[in-house]
Amino acid sequence: MALVLYAANTNKNAFKTLIAAEYYGVDVKLIKNFEMGVTNKTSEFLKMNPIGKVTVLETPDGAIFESNAIARYITRLKADNPLYGSSLIEYGHIEQWIDFATLEVDANIMRWFLPRLGFLAFPYIAPAEEFAIVAMKRALEALNTHLALNTYLVGHYVTLANIVLTCILTLGFSRVMTKNFTSAFPHVERYLWTMVNPQNFSKVLGEIK
Amino acid sequence: MALVLYAANTNKNAFKTLIAAEYSSVDVKLIENFEMGVTNKTPEFLKMNPIGKVPVLETPDGAIFESNAIARYVTRLKADNPLYGSSLIEYGHIEQWIDFATLEVDANIMRWFLPRLGFPAYPYIAPAEESAIAALKRALEALNTHLASNTYLVGHSVTLADIVLTCNLTLGYSRVMTKSFTSAFPHVERYFWTMVNQPNFSKVLGEIKQTESVIPIQKKPAQPKELKAKPEPKKEAKKDAPKPEEDDIEEAPKPKAKNSLDLLPPSTMVLDDWKRLYSNTKSNFREVAIKGFWDMYDPEGYSLWFCDYKYNEENMVSFVTMNKVGGFLQRMDLARKYAFGKMLIIGSEPPFKLKGVWLFRGQEIPPFVMEECYDMELFEWTKVDLSDEAQKERVNQMIEDQEPFEGEELLDAKCFK
Repeated sequence: MALVLYAANTNKNAFKTLIAAEYYGVDVKLIKNFEMGVTNKTSEFLKMNPIGKVTVLETPDGAIFESNAIARYITRLKADNPLYGSSLIEYGHIEQWIDFATLEVDANIMRWFLPRLGFLAFPYIAPAEEFAIVAMKRALEALNTHLALNTYLVGHYVTLANIVLTCILTLGFSRVMTKNFTSAFPHVERYLWTMVNPQNFSKVLGEIK
Repeated sequence: MALVLYAANTNKNAFKTLIAAEYSSVDVKLIENFEMGVTNKTPEFLKMNPIGKVPVLETPDGAIFESNAIARYVTRLKADNPLYGSSLIEYGHIEQWIDFATLEVDANIMRWFLPRLGFPAYPYIAPAEESAIAALKRALEALNTHLASNTYLVGHSVTLADIVLTCNLTLGYSRVMTKSFTSAFPHVERYFWTMVNQPNFSKVLGEIKQTESVIPIQKKPAQPKELKAKPEPKKEAKKDAPKPEEDDIEEAPKPKAKNSLDLLPPSTMVLDDWKRLYSNTKSNFREVAIKGFWDMYDPEGYSLWFCDYKYNEENMVSFVTMNKVGGFLQRMDLARKYAFGKMLIIGSEPPFKLKGVWLFRGQEIPPFVMEECYDMELFEWTKVDLSDEAQKERVNQMIEDQEPFEGEELLDAKCFK
């Protein structure tokens, strides 16, 4: 039976799981006709995730929320999945870069991006944006240095860390990070354009601009 | 050989790993004499974590950063560690609550806590704090419901999820979440106090005390005297009559009562008269409004200032630049009685330049404006030299939003009045 993923079909956080599922043949289906603000407000949905956020994965054993947790679960479904590396230290580094991608890259992209949408919960404040951009640059600089010597984040093939980081960068590249901004980080650029092209990625992500 | 953890001995993110290590019988030592801001700036440290954040774990196979990643790694060092549950779905749920504890609980505690410390990277903004508190309440409500029928987050024993959540709550409980705040979440309270009293937790955490008040908003040192005097009597009043935190926050920073500018010798210039003249002049602006301005202008009671944005190269998007100015003028609201300003957004294509002219009561830019409106420090401020006719003419052109201005088109002009 396919596992069912609840999210809109443009949700970068859902893509993490869909790509991880592609890699080693786990059957995950994105639910059809998901409507943000409607589907995720139903009482069935709130039973799966009480705070009503997407993404949620429905499994025969119960539901799981938090997109990275879902991607990790999917990855563990296959014993000794290479997406989790081939040693404990690789596993440690994969977790390190997943959290880095989430807390240093995604969080700062969001601190930059969300206030520009005019939501009340995220007021636009110029100096706050500047600090977000500075923190963003610091994270990308660190990545750029790491990727100068490494094709992938960890080891010599795609891991879950690559999947999480790439999905996050996809949003950044398509909404706030212009060429002018990213050109200071050539290894990150090379990395992203390499990553979005393998079949398992492009099948899910489509064409990124 | 013991693994070495780099962090201060009060760091809640280090505690996650230390507690997980206790449960898993993994030998992890906190490095001695760690000095935040020193140890983590050394080249050796930056090799381990290029962004210099703590904690970092040094292992014989290399270093690992990110506190949750370290805790996960230490947990995995023990095969089939019960901290990771006893089935795949338990594993999935443990990861779910770790991320929830990080992104919904910790992130919102931090959005509440950090801006109160006065770091420039985290400006204090009342509505942003309110939305952080609302998001935290939503998370705690969800937790409360879950913990109403579960002793632990997942299964029937302590897992890594409990360790991460408890460490995150520890900071909340000890700095911002008072009893009156947490009492709305009785199952979270029961859970928290049960967890911190588990031997493996208390060994690392020591004794936890819930804070009696939300940590006050730290002010920058340069503060007008009478503003400084204000908050203190207030604090006492607070103790007598505890109120919901949100109210305190709303009230605390506002310098309403008496402004030092009101104590200046009276001026012949009535600011509202000028503002009215400015608004009502529809034609012959030069002859009526500008001439009127200089007729009323009182150089003893008021001063004029040019401002020049320091980061013009960042003004790449027209509407964002206009919003920037809009936000600035909104935040200047507190100076409505003491100031008039004109901001020009200059250029027909990016990067746009931001320049302006401001009239302030007194001979200095009022300290409370510098203090409360952080946009101020994004501009260079230069006092207008009235003996210089060229500068005076520049004031005129700005008030009039004359185009072209200094050879360039104007994208927009906004007035603070």
